[in-house]
Amino acid sequence: MAKISYSEAKKELKAIVKSIEDGEMDVDLLTAKVKRASELLALCKEKLKTTDEELQKILEDMA
Amino acid sequence: MVEPSFSLSELNRQVKNVIRNALPEPCWLRAETSDVRVNQNGHCYLEFVEKDEAGHSIIAKARGMIWSSTYRMLSPFFEQETGQRFASGLSVLVRVTVDFHELYGFSLTVVDIDPSFTLGEIARNRQRVLRQLEEDGVLSLNKELGLPELANRIAVISSPSAAGYEDFRNQLENNPGGFIFYTKLFPAVMQGERSEESIIAALEKIFLYREWFHAVAIIRGGGAASDLSCFDSYNLAYNVAQFPLPVLSGIGHERDMTVLDIVAHTRGKTPTAVAEIFIAHLAKTAMELNELQERLASQIELLLFEEKSNLLSLSNRLVHHSSLFLQKEVASVQKIAAEIRYRFQQAFQKEVVGLQETMITLRHLIRRLLNEESNRMIQYIRNLRQSLLKGFQEECHFVENMEQFVRMVSPVNILKRGYTLTLKGGKIITSSKGLHKDEVIETRFRDGDVISLVQYYKNKSLNNGEN
Repeated sequence: MAKISYSEAKKELKAIVKSIEDGEMDVDLLTAKVKRASELLALCKEKLKTTDEELQKILEDMA
Repeated sequence: MVEPSFSLSELNRQVKNVIRNALPEPCWLRAETSDVRVNQNGHCYLEFVEKDEAGHSIIAKARGMIWSSTYRMLSPFFEQETGQRFASGLSVLVRVTVDFHELYGFSLTVVDIDPSFTLGEIARNRQRVLRQLEEDGVLSLNKELGLPELANRIAVISSPSAAGYEDFRNQLENNPGGFIFYTKLFPAVMQGERSEESIIAALEKIFLYREWFHAVAIIRGGGAASDLSCFDSYNLAYNVAQFPLPVLSGIGHERDMTVLDIVAHTRGKTPTAVAEIFIAHLAKTAMELNELQERLASQIELLLFEEKSNLLSLSNRLVHHSSLFLQKEVASVQKIAAEIRYRFQQAFQKEVVGLQETMITLRHLIRRLLNEESNRMIQYIRNLRQSLLKGFQEECHFVENMEQFVRMVSPVNILKRGYTLTLKGGKIITSSKGLHKDEVIETRFRDGDVISLVQYYKNKSLNNGEN
């Protein structure tokens, strides 16, 4: 989960939403997929709005 | 034979006169500016140069100056018309007076300028550079790169002290969406002759760290028109075009597009505008994210609602059909029960009738049997009585005979007929054996008993054992 990039996360999220919209989603799978979608949303939002201290430090340390 | 000679001032005065006579009116001069500087009195000093075709070596050079009174008017006019500060490295068309001063020597004094010539020169130069880039196949390379959806790690090439850099950072930091941006400054000289080389060096440094960034911003403070010639440089454009990250330009030039602006991935007019491009890009992806979230939520709601109503309808149908089924079953069971009862009654009645008939038959039969049996009994009793009677008569005869026989065989009668009885010790004896001499025996006669003593003993045949 941590390795996935923003674009990959969003792509997967789009695919999930589309599969639900297209009515391809089995109700049994819905819970798992919605959970996954929530995780992806949280991940994307975190990347947009939460400072990655580690990254910041790496950038500051560049010569 | 001393030849006439001039003093220096005489000679210089002579030259001055010759020049003034030859070129009494100002004339138009095409040349490139160099070493442009303005002193504290506002007078502008510069060098005019002409280079060879290749642009490498200077083939003519002359000192020039613009009086402050002229410069105060020409400089803003030139900037306004060209968007370019009057600076070194420009091709200009100027109207000059040609002067020779005894003390200061040869000098061209600018009295007028034609900015359209410079514009044309700049444009021609740009066209040339662009054509070259196109021939080299790199012109649109940077534009073909995609700006990643999450483009928030920005390598910035700017002068560290530039106001534009601060504007850029402030704009990013205070974005209304609350998006996070990471900026890293790669300082460069953005002005003058060294800028091309300096910006390229900064790009090379960013190249080493390219994995860590999403985009490059080349920015420079706006404000008054400035020396843009370095941004029309072929070398810089060549580097930018081929850079592996999208390059956004914001070099504070409102009027026209430099070569850098053209090859860059995206052009912003100012650093602030570039920051806005980045913010808008993130806002777009954030909006898409929100839209996805909303779609997800509404789809789930819809799906669950549909499932629920499907289930409800199924359960209604189930109840309806099962109650129908039950009613049908109950009716069918009732029908069967009624039929069974009917058949049972029928069978029962048949059975009763049968039994009654049997009973009647049986009664007749019993009566007949009883009659027969009673007749038989009567006959039997009659037979029995007759047999008994007959038997009784026969028995009577038998008894009479027996009486007669008994009478015949009684000891009295036998004794009458001359037979005696012999007893020993009170017991009848029928054999002579066992009798010894001198033993007492008793002999009974019809009319009395005789006691005798055995004299002797004579063995005879069995029939006459005794005497």
